[in-house]
Amino acid sequence: MRCHPVKSVLWIFFCWGLALTCFSCAASRPPAPSGPSSSPGADAPVSSDPGAESSDWYDPFDDAAPSDAVSPHTPIADPLSGFNRAMFVFNDKLYFWVLKPVAIGYRTVMPTPVRKGIKNVITNFMMPIRLVNCLIQGKGAAAKAEVGRFLVNTTYGIGGLFNPAQNYPALNPPDEEDFGQTLGHYGMGNGFYIVWPFMGPSTVRDTLGAIGDWAANPLTIIRLSNADAGFLSESETAWIVRGVDTVNSASFRIGDYEALKEAAIDPYEAVRDAYIQHRNSRIAR
Amino acid sequence: MNPRFFSGMVLLMTVWLVGFASTAMAGDDPLSTIRNPIDKVITILNDPQYRAPGQESRQRDAIWDTMIPLFDFMEISQRTVAQHWNTFSKTEKSDFSDIFSRFLGNIYIDKIQGEYHDEKVQYLGQNFHEDIYAEVKTLILRQATQIPVNYRMLKNNAGQWRIYDIVIEGVSLVKNYRSQFASLLQKNKPTGLIRILHEKVAHHETELVNPQPEKQKK
Repeated sequence: MRCHPVKSVLWIFFCWGLALTCFSCAASRPPAPSGPSSSPGADAPVSSDPGAESSDWYDPFDDAAPSDAVSPHTPIADPLSGFNRAMFVFNDKLYFWVLKPVAIGYRTVMPTPVRKGIKNVITNFMMPIRLVNCLIQGKGAAAKAEVGRFLVNTTYGIGGLFNPAQNYPALNPPDEEDFGQTLGHYGMGNGFYIVWPFMGPSTVRDTLGAIGDWAANPLTIIRLSNADAGFLSESETAWIVRGVDTVNSASFRIGDYEALKEAAIDPYEAVRDAYIQHRNSRIAR
Repeated sequence: MNPRFFSGMVLLMTVWLVGFASTAMAGDDPLSTIRNPIDKVITILNDPQYRAPGQESRQRDAIWDTMIPLFDFMEISQRTVAQHWNTFSKTEKSDFSDIFSRFLGNIYIDKIQGEYHDEKVQYLGQNFHEDIYAEVKTLILRQATQIPVNYRMLKNNAGQWRIYDIVIEGVSLVKNYRSQFASLLQKNKPTGLIRILHEKVAHHETELVNPQPEKQKK
C-alpha cells in the first residue's frame, strides 16, 4: 500500500490529538465536582473567596470567560510541562537562529508594499476557513462580511493583492475565526497546554481545531483534488505557500516576541499565560 | 505670501488651540487623561532634535516624565501580587512597587523608543463602571496590522484617572505578571521576589548603558 508521507504524518497527528482529548476529558472531569483540592490555602479559587482580599484585585472589565484555571496562579493544566519546556526552548532557538534572520533578510529585500500584497493574497485565499467557522458559530454578520470582503478584494483588489474592503466596516468581521475558537464557542475547554515543535503554543482543543482548519484549508482541497499547478506538485505548492506565509508574517512582527520575552520574569510561563488569555478573549468575541 | 509659511502658521495655531483646549478640559475624562500624554510621546518620538547622537537618553527621560504619572504603581503592584499582597510588610510593599515600576518603565519605554516605526494611535472610546472604573479602548495602527490596546483606569481619591492594567490583544499585563509572581512567591519570600526584580533591572540597565557608546561613535 502506498501512502503519501505527509498524509501519514497528519494521520498520526490526528490520532494523537484524539487520544489526548480522551485523556484530557478523563483527566479533567474528576477534580471538578470535588471542589477545592488537597492543598486548601493556596489553591482556593478566587471567585469563591468572599474575603476582603479578593476585592483587592477586582476588575469589572475582566470578562468571566470560560476558564480552565487550575488555581488563581495557574491559568491552565500543564501535565506535559517537561516536554513543553523543551519544545519552548527548541522553538525559541528556531526563532532566533532561523526564522528571525530569514525574516530580517526578507524584509530588507522585499519592499513593504510587496510584503503587504503577499499578506493580503494569503489572507484572502484562506477565507473558507474563517467563513466555515463563522457559519458553524452562527455568526451571520461576520459570515456576510467574510464573503463580501472576499468578493470585493478578489475583484477590485486584483485577486486579493489589495484590501479595498478595509474602508467599509460592514466588510470587516470582528475576528479571524478558526476551529479552535468554534470548539471553545460551544463550550469545549482548553484541556491542557501543549507546545508543538515549529507550531508553538497550543492546547488539546486548539490542536484538534488545527486539524479542522487543515481540512477547511483551500490548499488541502486543491491537494485532495490533485490539481497540479504546472511544474509544481500540489503538496510542494502547499509547503511553499506555508513557508512564504510564515516568513512574510514574521517580517511584520519582528520584535514582538522579543518584547514579550524581555518583559517576562519566566518567559515560559509568560507565553503560556498570554496564549491562554489571548485565545479566551477571541472566543469571547 | 509663501503658501508653506501660511500652512505652517495654520498648523501652529491648531496645535496651540488644541493644546489650550486640552489643558482646559483636563480633569475628569479618562480618554483625554491618556490621549494627551500618548500624543505627546508620539511627538517626542518624531521630534528631530532627539535624532542627534547622544540625545537618546534625553528622549527617554522625556517619555518617562510624560508617561509615568499616568500609572498607579501601588495599585498595579497590589493587583499583580494579588493573594500574596498581605504577606508583604509595609516597607516590602513600597520597595516592591518602586522596583516593579522601574522594571516596567525601563522595558516598555525602551521598546517604544527602539521599535517605533511611525505607528498611529486611534482612540475608539471609553466605558465606565461604577463611576470609578473606566476602560479606554485604542488601536495601534501598524504597517499591516492593528493591535487593540485597552487601558483600564481607576479614579483615585484626588479625582484623577490612573492606569491599573493594560490589555494588549486580549492579554492583561497584570494577570500575566500575576501568574508569574504567584509561582515565584511559592518558592521565594517577598524579599526574594524584590531581589529578582532588582537583578533584572540592573541587568537591563547595564545592557542599556553598554551598547550606547558604540552607537555614538558612528
